[in-house]
Amino acid sequence: MTTIADVTTSGANSTRKGLSARHREWIAGYLFVLPDVLGLFVFLGVPMLLSLVLSVYEVNGFGGYNFVGAKNYIRIWHDPLFWKGARVTALYAVMLVPSLYVTGLGLALLVQQTNRFNAIMRSMFFAPNMVSLVVVALVWQFMVIDKIGVVSQAMAGLGLPSISFLGDPNFALITVVLVSVWFLMGFYMLIFLGGLQDIPKEYYEAAMIDGAGPIKRFRYVTLPLLKPTSFFVLMVSMVAAVAGAQAFDIIYVMTKGGPANSTSVLIVYIYQQAFSFGAFGYAAAMSSILVVALMIVTAIFFAVTRGGRFDHAE
Amino acid sequence: MTGKDKLITAATRRSVLKGGAIIAAGAAAGLSGFPYVSRMAVRAQGAPLKFWQFYAPGGTVPSQVDWFEKAVAAWNDSHPQKVELEYVPNAEYINGPKLATAFASGEGPDIFLISPGDFLRYYNGGVLQDLTPHIDAKEDFPESVIASRMVDGKIYGIPMEVEPMAMYYSVKAFEEAKLNENDVPKTWDDLLELAKKLTTPKRFGVLFETQPGYYQNFTWYPFFWQGGGEFQTKDGKSAFDSPAAVQALKFWQDAINSGVAPRQVMGSGANDTVANLASGYCAIQNVGIWGISQLQSNAKDFEYGVFRLPTPPNGKYVTVGGGWAFVANAKGKNPDAAAQFCAWALASKDKGSVQRVADWCTKGKSDMPPRESALAAGGEAFKTGMIGKFATDVYPGARGEPRLPPEVYKIISDAIQQAQLGGADPQATATSASQQLDAFLSSYSGAPIL
Repeated sequence: MTTIADVTTSGANSTRKGLSARHREWIAGYLFVLPDVLGLFVFLGVPMLLSLVLSVYEVNGFGGYNFVGAKNYIRIWHDPLFWKGARVTALYAVMLVPSLYVTGLGLALLVQQTNRFNAIMRSMFFAPNMVSLVVVALVWQFMVIDKIGVVSQAMAGLGLPSISFLGDPNFALITVVLVSVWFLMGFYMLIFLGGLQDIPKEYYEAAMIDGAGPIKRFRYVTLPLLKPTSFFVLMVSMVAAVAGAQAFDIIYVMTKGGPANSTSVLIVYIYQQAFSFGAFGYAAAMSSILVVALMIVTAIFFAVTRGGRFDHAE
Repeated sequence: MTGKDKLITAATRRSVLKGGAIIAAGAAAGLSGFPYVSRMAVRAQGAPLKFWQFYAPGGTVPSQVDWFEKAVAAWNDSHPQKVELEYVPNAEYINGPKLATAFASGEGPDIFLISPGDFLRYYNGGVLQDLTPHIDAKEDFPESVIASRMVDGKIYGIPMEVEPMAMYYSVKAFEEAKLNENDVPKTWDDLLELAKKLTTPKRFGVLFETQPGYYQNFTWYPFFWQGGGEFQTKDGKSAFDSPAAVQALKFWQDAINSGVAPRQVMGSGANDTVANLASGYCAIQNVGIWGISQLQSNAKDFEYGVFRLPTPPNGKYVTVGGGWAFVANAKGKNPDAAAQFCAWALASKDKGSVQRVADWCTKGKSDMPPRESALAAGGEAFKTGMIGKFATDVYPGARGEPRLPPEVYKIISDAIQQAQLGGADPQATATSASQQLDAFLSSYSGAPIL
C-alpha cells in the first residue's frame, strides 16, 4: 500500500540525494530538542555528575580536595543528624503531600464554575504564590510569635492555652507544613482546575440520568478521570517536599532547622554542612543519597501507575 | 522492519553512542579536572585588593560607611597597592553561601572579616596569612583579646572591636512592676524571680537567644564559664560533662519552662534590642554592647539600663567578648600587601592607627576597643554613659570568644537546643554531647581549640 509519506519521501529523494525526507525530519526533530537537551546537560547533568564526584572527596572549602573513597558515605551511616533529618523530611512529606492534594482539589471543586465571584476567589487563593517565600515566612513568623502574634492573641481571646508555634518542637514542623500548604495550595488548585475542565460534561449528565448524586459523581466520574492530574500533583508535590524546593526557604527563615532540630529537613542540614561548615564533600554525598531516594520513590510511583498511563487502568 | 526503519534505528543507536561518548568525555573531564578547577582562576596582576565586609560602601549606618571609606582612602593615598571595598549584606556574609563558594572556587577576597567562631575553619583551611611581621603594636592588645587569633605565637587576625555581653532592661517595665535599678539581680535565681515579676500576658520577663546558630552558642558560653566550665581537659579530652555545663543548660531551660522567657524572638534575633526590648516584647534582654548604638539610632527615646550578667551559686562573674577581626587571604592576589593593610589599619603604633580603632569603637559603633592605647585615645567616651558602664562594670570580666571547629560548635548548639527548647534532661544532654565531643577530638588535627 502506498502512503502519503512514501509519496513524499520518493518525491524528496528525487530532489535531494543522500538523506531521505524521513531522515531529514528525524534530524530536524533532534535539532529542535537539542537546545533543551544541551541546557539540561550543562545545567543539570554536569552539576549532578560533579556532585557525585565531589562526594568521594574530602573538601575543606578552601580549594583542598582529598580523595577519600566511600568515607563520606560511611560517615552518613553513623551521623544521627542525617537520620534525624531523613525522618523529619519523611514526616514533612507525609504531612505536606496529602494536605496539598486535598486542599488543592477541594479549592478547585469549590471554584470550578466560571463566574465573576469564582474568578476573584481563584485569584485570592493563588495570590500567595506571587509573594516571595522569604516574605511569606517572615510575615507568618510574626503572626505566630509567642504572646503578641495575632494568632496567639486570638487563641488567648478564645481562652485556649498558649502555644509557641515555632518555638515548641511538638508544633514547629506542623506549623511549617501549614504555612507551606497555605502558600502552595493555590498553585495545585490551578492544576486541578485544568484537570477538571478536561472531563467531558456528558459523563456527568449520563451519571445524573442514572441517578448518581454529587458524592457518587465525584467518586465514580471525577476521581477516576482526574488520575493523570492526581499523578502529576502527587509526584511534583512529593519531589518538592523531599528536595526542599519550597521547604528550604520557609524553614530557613522561620526556624533555621530548630527548635532542637525538629524542623531540620535534610536539605537544611545539607546546606548547613556545605555553606556554614565548608564540608562540601560530605554535603555532596548526602545530596547524592537524597537524589537516589527520590529516584526510588519516583520509580515506585511510575511502577504503581504503569508509567503514568491511566487510560487503560480500569 | 523496513530498510528505512533499520536505517533510522541504526542512526539512533549511533546518535545514542555519540551522545554517550560526549557525556562520558564530559564526565571524564569532570572527574579528572575537578580538583583543579578552582586553581584555574586567572589572577589579575596589579588589580586592587578586594576587601569584603558588611559595612561599606552600601551599609545603612553612615558613620560606619564613613569610617571604612576614610580608612581605605588613607591607605590608597599612601600605598601603590590599592584596596577596594566590597559590601556584602550582613545576613549574606554570616549565613549565606557567598564567602563559602568564593573560597571553595579559589576566588576568595584578599581581605575580609572573621569572628573567633570561624577562625579555626579558615586557619585550618590554610587561607589565613601571618600578619605578625607587619604588626608593631602587639603588646597593645590584651591577651584575652588577641589569643583566639593566634597560633604558635603568630597573629592571623587583628580585632577591630570587643563586644562584651550584658543584660539590658526596660526602665518603663521596671517602673510598672514597681522596681528600680537597685533591684537588678546578682544571681541566676534572682534573675528568674525578677523576670517572674516582670512577665505579663503581653511581655516576657527575660529574653535569651532561641534560634540555633553561632550567636546562640556565643551568648551561652559565659553562663557555662561562670560555673567553671571548659570544653577540654588539659590532655585534650572533652570536659563538657560537668556540673557547670549541666547548670548552665538547666538555667536556660528553667527560664523557658517557668514561662518567663520566650521560645521565639522578634526581629533579626536576640541580638536585636529594638525589636525585642524597645518594642516591649521583653523586659530584660541578654545582648551585647552593640545594643547601645542600636537603641541610640532606632529608639532614641527608649529608656533603658544595663547590668552585668548574674552568676550561679558559688560562681564567678565572667562575660564573653566577641568581635570581628581583619584577616588577609594567604591565597589572594597579594597576601603580603593585604597583611600590611590589616596591620596598618588596626595594629600600628602610628597615631592614626590608634585613633582609627578608637573612632570605630566610639563613632562607628559602641564597642570596647581591643587596644589599650585606643582606650586611652577614646578619653571621655569610654568613661561616661552606657559605654562607661560597660567599661567599668561589664568589660573587666570579659573572656575572649572561644574558637571552636564547626563540628564542636554543632555539638554544643544541639545540646543547648535540646535542653532549652526540647525539654531534654540537662545531665543526659551534657553527657551525650561530651561523648560526641570525645569522638570528634580523638581525630581532630588542626590549630588548638581555645
